[in-house]
Amino acid sequence: MEAEDGDEHAALKRSTLTEKHAAAAHRRERIAVALLQACSGVFIVAIGLLIAYLTVEGTRLFFTDHKTVAEFLFSPTYSPETGQVGALPFIIGSLAITAFAVLVGGPFGVAVGVFFSELAPKPVAAMMKPAVEVLVGIPSVVYGWLGLTLLVPLIRAATHAPGFGLLAAGIVLSIMILPTVITLSEDALRAVPLTLREGSLALGATRWQTIRRVLLPAASSGLTVAVILGIARAIGETMAVQLVIGNSPTLPRGLLNSASALPTQIVMDMGGAATGSLLQHTLFSMALLLLLIAMALIVAVRFTLRSRA
Amino acid sequence: MNAMIERGFARRRFMDAVATVALWTAAIAVIAMLLLFVGYLFYLGAGSVSWHFLTGFPSELQAGGGVGPEIFNSFYILILTLIFTLPIALAAGIYLQEYATTGWFRALVQFSAESLATVPSIVMGLFGLLVFVQTLHWGFSALSGALTLTVLNLPSLMRVAQEALATVPRTYREASTALGATKWQTITRGVLPSAIGPLTTGIVLISGRIFGETAALIFTAGTSVSHGASAYDFNPFHTAETLAVHLWYTHSEALIPDVDRVGNGSAVVLLAVVLLFNIAARVVGRGLTLRFTGKAV
Repeated sequence: MEAEDGDEHAALKRSTLTEKHAAAAHRRERIAVALLQACSGVFIVAIGLLIAYLTVEGTRLFFTDHKTVAEFLFSPTYSPETGQVGALPFIIGSLAITAFAVLVGGPFGVAVGVFFSELAPKPVAAMMKPAVEVLVGIPSVVYGWLGLTLLVPLIRAATHAPGFGLLAAGIVLSIMILPTVITLSEDALRAVPLTLREGSLALGATRWQTIRRVLLPAASSGLTVAVILGIARAIGETMAVQLVIGNSPTLPRGLLNSASALPTQIVMDMGGAATGSLLQHTLFSMALLLLLIAMALIVAVRFTLRSRA
Repeated sequence: MNAMIERGFARRRFMDAVATVALWTAAIAVIAMLLLFVGYLFYLGAGSVSWHFLTGFPSELQAGGGVGPEIFNSFYILILTLIFTLPIALAAGIYLQEYATTGWFRALVQFSAESLATVPSIVMGLFGLLVFVQTLHWGFSALSGALTLTVLNLPSLMRVAQEALATVPRTYREASTALGATKWQTITRGVLPSAIGPLTTGIVLISGRIFGETAALIFTAGTSVSHGASAYDFNPFHTAETLAVHLWYTHSEALIPDVDRVGNGSAVVLLAVVLLFNIAARVVGRGLTLRFTGKAV
């Protein structure tokens, strides 16, 4: 009799304990979800603040200093000390080296991506993957140092020009966008269903015909994204370009001419720009322009991926 | 007719062979390039790196300066950055991968992350200058630099977390839920330990990138080492030039006569650290995966 009572009591105690545990677990769950959500919100706050800050600082040139957007974008004269704020030389410089990087590094990167996805035997791929990761990891300032000590003297020897200029910057950027283009184009090709390869080969096509006529078209949206993100990497690159481009704030006349780009001019001049000066406002407008280009590229990526679906 | 078909066949075979050779060449060129860079930098830097260079103080006017405080600052800012970034990025990665798998909030976070990831690091540096250096009055400091790098690296670390979680089979989650575990218990005790390998690999690889970041630090952490009591300064509010910034700054602005020696030495130290991080990422990731899941990768 007494023993039974004790058992019941213990069972009751156990069940309330279990319930307590379950309640505690659920409470923890709710707290955890709230915290996770808050941390995710940090991303939204961060990009929001970034856009807000740069929009305010980047438009002072137009609202406070009453310069026109047209002068900023299309005037070739950059001389904020004398009131001229044309950023055209840097816009042209940035576009030129980015275009060079995409034209040279793009196809090369896609080719290596194709190699990884279609040709590479497993052990070769296993050896090369880490190599590509090291290429990503090398700091951009070290790429710049390589350009400065290896590439610039080479160009100088080959052309008798000073060596610093658009060509050197373009070559450095071509190399720097490689990992992005390689990795993304490999992913894009791997995403193509195996049946398409099998179908093509069964029709008697060679591997190259299959790659060129079937796989590349099928992966075209992914390859486009690879190139767009390569552009994004190139247009914002600062340190490597600054060390080799020559830094002349004038319109470049040829590939061998010393030039300057949007990010490099910011890094050159911001240190000496007094708060509230015309120079500082111009540099922030250039930063805002870079941000707008980056955002446009992200929208382009979205658009490319959506149009596939 | 037969001859024509055969000619076409031969041409296609020939083109295929040409393409095969070309693609192999492109791939080998990438490896050759990397080996050239690494070999060349070690060759350049060999003469510059000495114990004195690695631990000595930088010099402002005379030759013979070292980079001790810069190396210290690079690691210090890296650690600060990881302390800020990891919890937020991991939490956001878990939230997007395990909880909010659809919906507008997820889409907005994802879009924000992608946008942040494409912001050029110089623009991020100016953002850090505006927010941390000026608005919050923290000046050029280790803290301003680390927080700027936090914003810069949040997206890539979140991606690492998402991808690591995606490697864990769904059956693990189902088994855990079937045992009565809550979702949070499932994640912390089942899913995260199984994902620890790829997670660690990704974190260490990104650490290498944080170590070498330059453009975002010039206007946030500053271009000189601390002038406090010691140049090895833990005070997060003191200026903290890193090794990568030093490499750029000595070349562009400094007055020392041995710019090449300091530059070559700094470049090779940066490269060596990045290589070490890459090797460590692989070894540690593999070891942890084996330990926590019993799977050899």
